[in-house]
Order: sequence, then C-alpha cells, then structure tokens
Amino acid sequence: MSEKKYPVVDRLEALKKRLKAVREAQAIYAEYSQEEVDKIFLAAATAANQARLPLAKLAVEETGMGVVEDKVIKNNYAAEYIYNAYRNTKTCGVISEDKSAGYKVLAEPLGVVAAVIPTTNPTSTAIFKILISLKTRNGVFISPHPRARKCTIEATKIVLEAAVAAGAPENIVGWIDIPSLDMTHYLMSESDVILATGGPGMVKAAYSSGKPAIGVGPGNTPAIIDDSADILLAVNSIIHSKTFDNGMICASEQSVIVPESIYDEVKAEFKRRGCYFLDPEETDKVRETMIINGSLNARIVGQSAYKIAEMAGVEVPASTKILLGEVEIADDSEAFAHEKLSPVLAMYKAKDFSHALDIASQLIADGGMGHTSSVYLNERREKEKLNAFTERMKTCRILVNTPSSHGGIGDLYNFKMTPSMTLGCGSWGGNSVAENVGVKHLLNIKTVAERRENMLWFRAPEKTYIKPGCLPFALDELGTVNKRERAFVVTDEFLYKNGYTKQIEEKLTELGIRYQVFSEVAPDPTLACARKGAEQMKHFEPDVIIALGGGSPMDAAKIMWVLYEHPEVDFMDMAMRFMDIRKRVYTFPKMGEKAYFIAIPTTSGTGSEVTPFAVITDEKTGVKYPLTDYELMPDMAVVDSDLMMNAPPSLTAASGIDAVSHALEAYASVMATDFTDGLAIKALQTIFEYLPQAYDSAVSKKPAPEAREKMANAATMAGMAFANAFLGVMHSTAHKLGAFHHIPHGIANALMMTEVLRFNAKEAPTKMGTFPQYDHPKTLARYAEIARALGEEGADDEELLEKLIAKINRLKERIGIKPAIKDYVPDEEAFMSTLDEMTEQAFDDQCTGANPRYPLMSEIKQLYLNAYYGEHKEV
Amino acid sequence: MVTLKQFNEDQVIYRTEGKVIYRDGDTILKVFDESFTKSDILNEALNQARVEETGLKVPRILEVLKIEDHWAIRSDFIPGKTLETLMKESPEKEDAYLERFVDIQIEIFSHEAALLNVLKEKMRRRIDQSSFDATTRYELQTRLAALPTHKKICHGDFNPSNIIITPEDEAYVIDWSHVTQGNASADAALTYMLFHLAGRPDLAQKYLKLFCLKTDTARQYVQRWMPIVAASQSTKNKPEEREFLHRWVDVADYQ
Ligand SMILES: NC(=O)c1ccc[n+]([C@@H]2O[C@H](COP(=O)([O-])OP(=O)(O)OC[C@H]3O[C@@H](n4cnc5c(N)ncnc54)[C@H](O)[C@@H]3O)[C@@H](O)[C@H]2O)c1
Ligand SMILES: [Fe+2]
Repeated sequence: MSEKKYPVVDRLEALKKRLKAVREAQAIYAEYSQEEVDKIFLAAATAANQARLPLAKLAVEETGMGVVEDKVIKNNYAAEYIYNAYRNTKTCGVISEDKSAGYKVLAEPLGVVAAVIPTTNPTSTAIFKILISLKTRNGVFISPHPRARKCTIEATKIVLEAAVAAGAPENIVGWIDIPSLDMTHYLMSESDVILATGGPGMVKAAYSSGKPAIGVGPGNTPAIIDDSADILLAVNSIIHSKTFDNGMICASEQSVIVPESIYDEVKAEFKRRGCYFLDPEETDKVRETMIINGSLNARIVGQSAYKIAEMAGVEVPASTKILLGEVEIADDSEAFAHEKLSPVLAMYKAKDFSHALDIASQLIADGGMGHTSSVYLNERREKEKLNAFTERMKTCRILVNTPSSHGGIGDLYNFKMTPSMTLGCGSWGGNSVAENVGVKHLLNIKTVAERRENMLWFRAPEKTYIKPGCLPFALDELGTVNKRERAFVVTDEFLYKNGYTKQIEEKLTELGIRYQVFSEVAPDPTLACARKGAEQMKHFEPDVIIALGGGSPMDAAKIMWVLYEHPEVDFMDMAMRFMDIRKRVYTFPKMGEKAYFIAIPTTSGTGSEVTPFAVITDEKTGVKYPLTDYELMPDMAVVDSDLMMNAPPSLTAASGIDAVSHALEAYASVMATDFTDGLAIKALQTIFEYLPQAYDSAVSKKPAPEAREKMANAATMAGMAFANAFLGVMHSTAHKLGAFHHIPHGIANALMMTEVLRFNAKEAPTKMGTFPQYDHPKTLARYAEIARALGEEGADDEELLEKLIAKINRLKERIGIKPAIKDYVPDEEAFMSTLDEMTEQAFDDQCTGANPRYPLMSEIKQLYLNAYYGEHKEV
Repeated sequence: MVTLKQFNEDQVIYRTEGKVIYRDGDTILKVFDESFTKSDILNEALNQARVEETGLKVPRILEVLKIEDHWAIRSDFIPGKTLETLMKESPEKEDAYLERFVDIQIEIFSHEAALLNVLKEKMRRRIDQSSFDATTRYELQTRLAALPTHKKICHGDFNPSNIIITPEDEAYVIDWSHVTQGNASADAALTYMLFHLAGRPDLAQKYLKLFCLKTDTARQYVQRWMPIVAASQSTKNKPEEREFLHRWVDVADYQ
C-alpha cells in the first residue's frame, strides 16, 4: 500500500490547484519519446498487476460489493490485457508513414483526461483508464465514486508511483479525495476529454459539460439459447458469467430467453448447477426487494444470490449461484426485466426463435440500447438465425456462444475484440463511441499530407491505321484475325449517296460478312437518331459497328453502340458532369461485349475516331451533351485521307479549325502531359502548314493529296492529345454557341478562340483550375511555347501571345472564317436574348473542368460579348 | 388596528406548528410565529400572488400585515369542503374525485410563472440539507442533475386536502407555500409519495396510472424523481416517515 502523502483534494480550490499541477506535468510528458512512454507503461502495468489481490480486497471491503477472487481477475485483466494489447502500439509522434504517397500520420495527446470511476469495477477501471492515458501521453484526473473512494485512490497511487519511478512527471495523475458533484462537474468542464463510466446521470453530466466525452451507458444483456445450442455449454457459460463478481460487469446477462422445445432441459441444467428457481410467491418477494419505484435497490448490487434471497425473505441454500425468476413481460414494468447488477436472472419462455428475438429486442430497447446481446446456437448450421439475431439487436457487441461478462470486455473468448473496461454503446446509448474504448480514443491524430501530383495516363484505340488507301487492308482483319459475321455501318445520307460506303460494302461482301447500312445521321446528331439506329441494331445484332463520316456519324454511332449493348442505361446518368474521370459517380457500362467498333473519319477535324467523347443533342431540350468515358473509345481507327479528298471548302475550313482548337486546348489543359504536348504541337505545326493548301484545293477542286493526308494525320493527333488532356472553355462556349445559333462546331470554336486565349493567359486570374500539376497560372508561357514552335519570335511571352493570336487570325481569314459572332448571327437581339442561358450552360459544360482558368459565369458572359462584337474587353 | 385578542377559538380553522389560520368574515388570516423569517412570509405571499396572476382559481391575497409581533397574510375565505373530506364522506365516488384531482393538477401544469423559484434548485438544496451519507447525496445530486428542467407551475404539496370544492362546485387550490416551477413529473412523484405517506398506497397507484394516462407520460419518467422527492421530504425529519423514505432513496443509478 502506498505510504506517500499527497495534498488532499476535498474542495474546489484544492482541485483547481491540483488540476493545474497535472496540466503542467502533462505539458512535459507530451514531449516524451515512444521509448520513454513504453517504459512507463510497462512499469505502471506491472505495479497494477502485482497489486491485484490487495486492491481486490480493499474494493470488496470498502464497497461491500462483489467477490474478492473475481476482482483479482478484473485487476489483473486491466493490467495485463491492456498492456499486452498496446505494448507495441505506436502512440507518440509518427505512427504511420507512406513516403511515396506523401502521407504521414502523427499521434499527439489530448491533454488531461477526466476519468469518472464507477463503484462496480473501481480499481480495475482506474487501472485501465490510467494505463491508456499514460500510453498516450495524457495526464489523467480521477474522479472516484464516494462509495469506492479509498480503493480507487489506492489503485491510482500505486500506478502513479510506479509510473513516476519509471520516469513519468510527478503530477501526471491526480484525483479527487472527497468527491462532490460540484467538483466532478468542474473537473469535467476543465478537462480536455471525459472518460465517463457510470450511471446515466454521470454519463449525461459528461455529455453536458461541453467537453468531448466518451461516456458509456447501462447494459441489459439478453441471452437467447436457441434449440440448436449446446445446452451444457450455454447454461454453464451463463452461470459463469452471471456469478462473476456477483454480476457487476455491465455486459453481464440479465435475462435468458429459451424456446419451449428445450425449456425444461435448460431449466434442469440450471438447477443441476446450483441455481434456484423462485416460485411465483418468492418471485414477487424478490421483485419488491430488487426494484423500488422502477429503480434498482442499491443494497442488492454486487451481493450474492443467498444474501439477496435473505433480504427478500426467501429461503435458499447458502451455495445458491443465481436466483431465477420465470417471467413473461419483457418491458420495464417487470422488475426482472431490469438491469440487476447482481446474480438474479429473468427467464423467458419463447414460442420460437423469432419470438425470442422480439423479447430480446424489447429488453434492449427498455434498458440496454447499444450495449451487448448474446446468443447461443450452432454457428455452422444456423447461419440464418445468427444473421437474423445480428440484424435485430441494436447493440454494439453481439456475442455468440460466449459468457457475456467476459466476452464483452474482449480478448478473453475472442481474440480480435479489443480488451477494455469501457464499452461504447454508440448513438443508441447516447455515446460518441460504439466500440470498446482504447488508446485511439485518447489521441489527437495529425495527418500530414504533402502535395503530390495526380497519376496521369495516355489512352488511344487499340489500333490506329494510317495512310491513304489503307481502308480495305484495315478491314481485312474482320475476316482473318478478328473474325466477324455481321456488320452495321453508320453514316450520313450524303456520304451514302455519294458512294463513300461502296468500298466498305464490297470488302464486307468479299469477306462474307453480312451487313446493314444506317445512313440517317444528320449533322449535330440527336438522341432520337441514335435511338433509331440502336433499334435497328437490336434486330440486326451486329458484331462489328463501322462508323463512317465526320464527327456526326461517328458520335451517333458511339451512342447507338451504348444503347445497343446496354439498353438499360439512362442517358442523363451518362451525361452527368464529373471533376475527375477516375472518380466519377456514374460507372459507365462496359462496352465491346457485343460489338467491335471501327471509326473511319471522312473529315479532318473532330478526332472522334480516337476520342472517348461523343457529342449528342437532346432534341427535346436542344441541349448539347459531350458524353465522356474511355468506354466510348473506338477499338479501331482507320485514317485514310483518300476519303477526304473531295471535302468542300467550308467543311475543310470548319473541321480544320476544330482540330486547331483541340490542339490549343489540350496544350493549355491542366491535365496536359509530355505525351499530349508532343501530339498537340505536331498537329498545330502541320495544320498551319497544310490547311491553307487543303482549303485551296477544296476551292479549286484540284486534288492535293499531300495536304489532305497531313491534315488527316494532324486532326487525329490533335484528337489523341485532347482524348487524354481534355478540352477547355473554348469548347464549353463553342458547344452552346453552336447549339443555340446553329453555327458549325469548328466555326464556333474559331469564333471563341482568341478571346479564350487571352482569358486563359491572364497571369492573375480570378480563379485558377484545381489540379496538383497546375501549380500557378502559367498558360501565358504555354501559349508562348506554341508560338515559338510555330516559328514566331518575340521579346517576351506577351508579345508571343499577340503573335500567336495574329497568326490564328490570319489563318482564319485565309480559310474564309469571319472574325466575329455577329457576322454569323446578325440579329443582335436574338443573340442577347440567349446570352444568359448560354452562359450558364457553357459554365456547366463538361469541358470547363480541365480549363487552366476556372471561369466565373460573369466572365463567360463577357467572353461571349467580346466574341460577338469582335472587340476585346478585359476579362 | 387588528389584535390577536379579537379572535376566539372557534374562529380557528387550522392550527399547525408555527401557524394559526383564523376565519375573519369573508377572509382568512394566516398568522405566523417568530420561527418564520420575514422573508418566508413575504415570499409565500409573493408566490401566491404570482400564481393568482396566472388566472388559476386560488384564494386572492388581500394584505400582508403585522399583528402585534406576528406577521400575517390575509386572503379570501373559500367556502366549501376539501376533496379529502369529500372522498371520505363518499367513498363510492372516490374514483371520480381522483379523476377531478388529476385534472386540476394538469390544469396547473398548463401555466407558467417565470419568476417562481426553480424546482431543481430547491431539490438540490434539500438534498444537501438531508441527513443521508455523502455517497447517497452524491448519487442523488447526480441523478437530479440529469433530470429535465421544465417551467411548469408545480404546487409542491398537491394532495386532496389542498383542494376546496365550493357549493357552486368550483375547485380552488389552496396553500401555495411550496410552489415552484419545474418538471410536472416531479410534482406527480411528490403527490404519489404523499398518498403513500397518507397510508393510501392504493390511491397512489391509481393516481399514478391516471396521471400517466392523461398526460401521456411514461411511468419510469415519473419514477426517476421518486428518490429525489423522498430525499426532499426527509428534511422534514418526521420519524414515522424515516424508514419509508430511506427505502425510496437507497437506489442505484445503473453503472
Ligand atoms: N467526338 C468528338 O471528339 C468530337 C469533337 C469535336 C466535334 N465533335 C462533333 O462532331 C460534329 C461535327 O463533325 P464534322 O465537323 O466532322 O461534321 P459532320 O460529321 O457533321 O459532317 C458535316 C457535313 O459534311 C459532310 N461530309 C463529311 N465528310 C465529307 C467528305 N469527305 N466530303 C464531303 N462531305 C463530307 C457530311 O455529309 C455532312 O453533311 C459535331 O456534332 C461536333 O459537336 C465531336
Ligand atoms: Fe471540337
């Protein structure tokens, strides 16, 4: 026993002083290393372990409750099992680290723990709470229950002195000597966290104190013995648990529920092992003794069955282990349905298992929400019953074939369950913790997250074939390696009528592949058109889809492909906007299970043959949706410029400038990589060199095979760039401009192009795009790089940007694109009346996300106005 | 100038330790001896005035005066019989009277008077004053602190002897010296205890059932107050109540 003298804490002033001392000690202790702490933890646990018997004796002597021999086990458990559970747990400083992810977790103490100790398990709970506080570098202040004051304080001193001897600061643990509610309240309100074990009153006080509280509430554990159970094991486990320390562990069984079929057998086993069944008259007597006005008689808590019977005036053998009352009512108008904290059990006869569940739920609802429930059954055979039990019980511990006193505190009958003397009851019990309380609840966790760049990717179709005249060779493999039997060709009317599908049809015939042609795609394809094609596919059941044409047939065919393979998908789900394609809410359906997809462009612009995008218009609302997912990526792209030789001037210009916009936006995108940069730059160099020639050839109708081939390759390269780096505000605004005012897609981009360049190039934008790789506004420099790659020179980036803009304007003019929106939409009023809606939709466009500058809607509006009048105003 | 001599013995309606109540025409005069402080008397008058102002049917306070060395409160005389008397006279109507009794109490609960003393405060003081050991007082205080704080008018001694039914069959509630504001269940627990102390556990049961039914209150909710009201009652130090109250107080808050 401790001999040391400490200042007595018997009133508020003394408490304040001592609390200050503990706080100061804790500030020092907070700096201790893991090694030092572990040494103290070991010393403290050892001392508690060694004092198990004297402390048990003291507790029983002082409180007049419980059994010395069992309290020895509790004390030993609180020292040994807690030590063992946390001996290797890191609780100081860095506790885990992932260097490559730049992620580190540190543990820091909370400060001073206010520990409220109950009378039922005074010494063991004190040992437990002090040990976990010491392990976590917290100070701890013990508030004992007046009935268990001396033994609680003795346990505290023993642990403290051992800790100090091992190097802990002198005042790291404090306690109240003469408890009063005022002092307890003060302690709670001045601590950093409250570990409250006790009755509902104390737990409520803890939660009302304004400090974080880990309070735990009362239990009322029901134990169902199913007819599949091992009765011998069940009954003897319950007796073992219920008699442990005279039934004072909060997880202890309060009621047994037994189905009719085995009721007599169970009863006989209880009797054989020395339990006493009360007759109705005796049951009444015990009722009256046990519960007073709905509350538990304090005098029976932790007493032996014999003593309680004596108090009730019932004669039983002195060796009686448990008093059983056979009762029917499960709500708390029945005294036996209460938590009894003594070796008294209620026994219910259930009609069947489901009736037993009803009784158990009722018992929990009336007195043990969130605590513990127990069931005995054959785990292997009766999985369904166990599932039903698990589902029904609103308890945080569900114990199977286990004595619940021992089972609830953990690590005795199941070795994954955290050992603890403080059992959380979740929100059902009004608690903040639903599990067994341990060191993690006494730590502040610091997460150190270093900046890391997102992993990026490069994806392209499995096969991309290039070179004039490659089409028939590419298709050959449908008859050889990649055997197909039914082909569905999607194109538009013009191309069909002008014989563009001939070559394909002949090849398919030669290969013996049956085919069907759908040629009803109109420019800016609609959902209705895609539905129609999909309907035909449903009947034809193709195993390969061949899309031939500009962006319109290719995009329409992609949507048909989705609707054909997954008729169940909801279009609006696919159109849902996302921030990161890898984290999108909607999981795009898996494509390619029914058909292989081949895209053959006849325009050099959209790049749709190599992109995961499909632009589709909802004809009902007129809204244009750029759908995005790598599932939409064609399996094969065939870039054969022979198909583009006769493209008219307007188409050559519009699709060519579209390719320019793709390369510009991919290069400026926050997701740009070295891979996409290379493609974008090469595409731009090629286009600026060859688009004028291609255009001239379209006007003069004199074929220019080299220019056409170069343009075809450039468009596909630009496509690959933006298939991976994505687009930006140029496309966001162009999509809506095109949709609202029927301007061809490429032209719409051309009209927004220079305005968007200036907008993105701002060195101090209102908001920049959010992406780790995009660390500061740097788009001006990026545009300057493009300008240099195109052979421009300049004193600084600003000048280079101006040169780039001038170069673009010259190109546009050269290929017949007019400078401003008003040249295409002369009706100013009509334009203005759509401006707000266009602005909002453009902002909400999927392409906005990758833009290096995050636009405000007011800024988009100004961009539109500038582009409309062809006059730049600061945005 | 009123003097005590002008009252004769048959004007005495009621005599108890430290107080005598006289009938004086249409009024009654409650005369206190020196065991009461000035503030006790002024407080009682003030509390009753506050209740009166809520519109409840109670005797009006007419004056607070000093007769010789004694403080006194004059209020309306209410003619009629107490419910207690009526219950005794017609046992067959006991259930009906009990129902009326509960209705009157519920009517009181429907009122608030913001300046009345606070029930929980009073209970807290009473527990401190009680002679239970430190452990028990600690548990009682803990229990009390967790109980709800409401603002309903609680009579504080609500029993059938404090209700007068006039010949016109109007009910007046008298004796407001213990009134507070607080949780109705606390007042119900007290009434339940008073029935027990009056040797009528049967009426206590019936009362509680009726109260819970009419107010849709769970029985346990009222029961949570019982150890508290018992501890409070124990400060009256009546030897005959001691054992009974101890039994009620000595309960465990689950742990
Ligand atoms: N999926 C993507 O990645 C992506 C990217 C940009 C644009 N788009 C979309 O693509 C569509 C625009 O595509 P587009 O510019 O290729 O035009 P388009 O497919 O709409 O074709 C326009 C017209 O040109 C004709 N045409 C096509 N090829 C021809 C040729 N070789 N010779 C003569 N005439 C020919 C067509 O028959 C049609 O009448 C828009 O809906 C746009 O939103 C898609
Ligand atoms: Fe485009």
